[in-house]
Amino acid sequence: MGRRLLGAAVTGPGVAAIALENVTLGYDRRPAVHHLSGVIAAGELLAVCGPNGGGKSTLLNGLAGLIAPMGGRIGRGGAAARDFAYLPQAAQLDRAFPISVADFVALGALRRKGIFGRIDQAESDRVANAVAAVGLEGFETRVIGELSGGQLQRALFARLMVEDGGVILLDEPFGAIDAATTDDLLALVAAWRAEGRTVVAALHELDLVRRAFPKTLLLAREAIFWGDTEKALTPGNLAAARAMARAHQADAAFCQRDESEPADAL
Amino acid sequence: MRLTRRAVLLALPALAAASARAEAPLPVVATFSILGDFVREVGGEAVEISVIVGPDGDAHVYEPTPADSKKLQRAKLVFVNGLGFEGWLDRLIAASKTKARIVVASEGVAARKLEGEPDPHAWQDVANARRYVENIRDALKAADPVRADVFERRAGAYLQRLDALDAEVRASIARIPEARRRVVSTHDAFGYFAARYGIAFIAPEGVSTEAEASARDIARIVDAAKREKVGAVFLENVVDPRLARAIAADSGVRLGGELYSDALSPPGGPAADYIAMMRHNVEELSSALVP
Amino acid sequence: MLYDALVAPFVDYPFMRRALVGALATALAGGPLGVFLLLRRMSLAGDALSHAILPGVALGYLAAGLSLPAMTLGGLGAGLVVALSSGAVARFSAQREDASLAAFYLVSLALGVALVSLKGSNVDLLHVLFGSALALDDTALYLLAGVATITLAALALFYRALAADTLDPVFLRRVSRFGEFAQYLFLSLVVLNLVAGFQALGTLMAVGLIMLPAAAARLWTQDLTRALLLAGVLGALSAYIGLALSFVAGLPAGPAIILAAGAIYFVSLVLGRAGGLIRNLTPRRHLEG
Repeated sequence: MGRRLLGAAVTGPGVAAIALENVTLGYDRRPAVHHLSGVIAAGELLAVCGPNGGGKSTLLNGLAGLIAPMGGRIGRGGAAARDFAYLPQAAQLDRAFPISVADFVALGALRRKGIFGRIDQAESDRVANAVAAVGLEGFETRVIGELSGGQLQRALFARLMVEDGGVILLDEPFGAIDAATTDDLLALVAAWRAEGRTVVAALHELDLVRRAFPKTLLLAREAIFWGDTEKALTPGNLAAARAMARAHQADAAFCQRDESEPADAL
Repeated sequence: MRLTRRAVLLALPALAAASARAEAPLPVVATFSILGDFVREVGGEAVEISVIVGPDGDAHVYEPTPADSKKLQRAKLVFVNGLGFEGWLDRLIAASKTKARIVVASEGVAARKLEGEPDPHAWQDVANARRYVENIRDALKAADPVRADVFERRAGAYLQRLDALDAEVRASIARIPEARRRVVSTHDAFGYFAARYGIAFIAPEGVSTEAEASARDIARIVDAAKREKVGAVFLENVVDPRLARAIAADSGVRLGGELYSDALSPPGGPAADYIAMMRHNVEELSSALVP
Repeated sequence: MLYDALVAPFVDYPFMRRALVGALATALAGGPLGVFLLLRRMSLAGDALSHAILPGVALGYLAAGLSLPAMTLGGLGAGLVVALSSGAVARFSAQREDASLAAFYLVSLALGVALVSLKGSNVDLLHVLFGSALALDDTALYLLAGVATITLAALALFYRALAADTLDPVFLRRVSRFGEFAQYLFLSLVVLNLVAGFQALGTLMAVGLIMLPAAAARLWTQDLTRALLLAGVLGALSAYIGLALSFVAGLPAGPAIILAAGAIYFVSLVLGRAGGLIRNLTPRRHLEG
């Protein structure tokens, strides 16, 4: 598997810190992320862990700009949400669509080139490098419908690479794939970090988190712990996280904290 | 004196009954609108006419309804065209169990042949229309002798108008140059007209415009128009005017207007009665064929 | 003999040439649209939309009588409203595209029937609006050629966006500002082609030339570009063969063309290299790797 990087420096807009100010995110007025505050530093490698229903995917959706906060705000330091590259949990793509792996990966260039942009030599090289970096050389002309689950996940990573975002959001990227693929993809993540990109990944594989992610946000609708990984994933914290992920309150009243907390909380 | 008064007193109810019968119009049925018009002209207020296939209707493919059956039951006379025009009639008569007398209006007409079968459109020749009217008059007189003189008078007046119409048609056709008295028509209803007044109606072989037209149909019409050097093309059955225009354009032949063959138009239309219908058809032919 | 069937009719008769040009224009633009419709699981949309245009046609008729331009414009308006509304509903609510389209077209059709009955007469408006390939005049030809040109130009220009929107619309919306509009552009092209096709050629031919060649093309190739081109070619072939059949065998033109397209489809179904029956049902030796 080639380890050529996409470039020593990040080509997108300059990466800034992401500031979460008292952010509440959710659906149908139910908060899935409740009054979260914190900073994701530029170039940080952050894992978001927690029980199911704890708000990990919702947080990533909010960071990617797919849902608007119900309260608080997300500061992206001048960048737009569109500049964040995002790998959602369940890719909603049509596997039966007749497109080759190479063309699929090349779609990542849409963000930078726009829909009318031509794929020039530089872009082709970028695509080829990405395909090689995820270990799919030789698969360029195969149709995506022929790929296995793990191979498709690699192709999605490759597309993500071609997007060349300064901030990369991953939602359960290692869900249904084997150990070898996981190792390869983790190496990619490390390479991104070396390039100065910010990576935020929602994961439930705690062993992977301990192995590869220096910082962790333990989220169970509210932040249980946000800091170094080994301090985050203690048995006590994990138990607290499980306890806090209650079922929806059927007759929940309006949140009282919106009025009581000072506006400049961080 | 007393005998006379008693006689008068006794006669009065009889007279009253007789005149009451004379007041009520004779219920009759005509199978289609053209025939209905003839009956109305001859019978006037003395008859109460029901027409089965009304204006713009197609008697060839008509499906009788129970209401038609009722009309037949009430009627004393049923006027039919005959010559195979009303294929559904026998069933309807049997179903209605009517006791009416069936009068074939085309009795005595010299029938033409169309593809081996008799051609029913005899009324297109005004001379035949005269025969129809005479038959109708005689049937009405036989059914209602009290008013025979009314029928005689009315029929006489109408026959005179028909004679005038016949002369009118001949004169109009005479104004068309002889070389141009040829048309392509997809409807085969004008055989009698053609024979009597000297216009050739050419039907392209095997063309049916009842269903959706095929390219072969169009080609045949175009070919016929060009080959026969016709003056105009008349397409009664073609619903889409765009198709008609395409045919006219490709054959280089003028497109004629609408000809009425099997039914009158509704009241207010150009062919609301028989005489108007014939005049309208001749007008359309003239304007298409006169250069 | 073959010359008589395949070449002579078009040489000898202007109306055949016009029919061929009109049908070719529809096929070349409609085929690629059909491939996208297929991929978006909207194969029955054409038929639904042919009913949905009725209230627009009715409004045109109420306003201007049996005027073809008025009724066509009305139909186009109604078609766009139905198509774009159902697209928006599918995008912003929990409903899927097939459900929203079904709902909208049914309401639209009922509205159209009610409007027509207002005027009192029993005119079958759709019958009046729908034309025949054999009756194409210059206006209709310009309409078809114009619509085909616009469609092909739009497809070429927005090819990548349309493909991405079909493949992964969430991704496209995230990375491109145009993402929201790709769907509406596509639906508008479909309505435009359908209404022009109805008016000039009739429903059967318009919808048939869009869907059947596309379905056939998909059985021969897994490459999107090739499928788009092949759909156009197969449609053109169907038009040619169908018109020749109508001339030689006396079949009505629209059904003849669709039967030709259908025959091509069945041949593709059996022999197609990318999913045909013979391929799928006969065992073949497997490859090394």
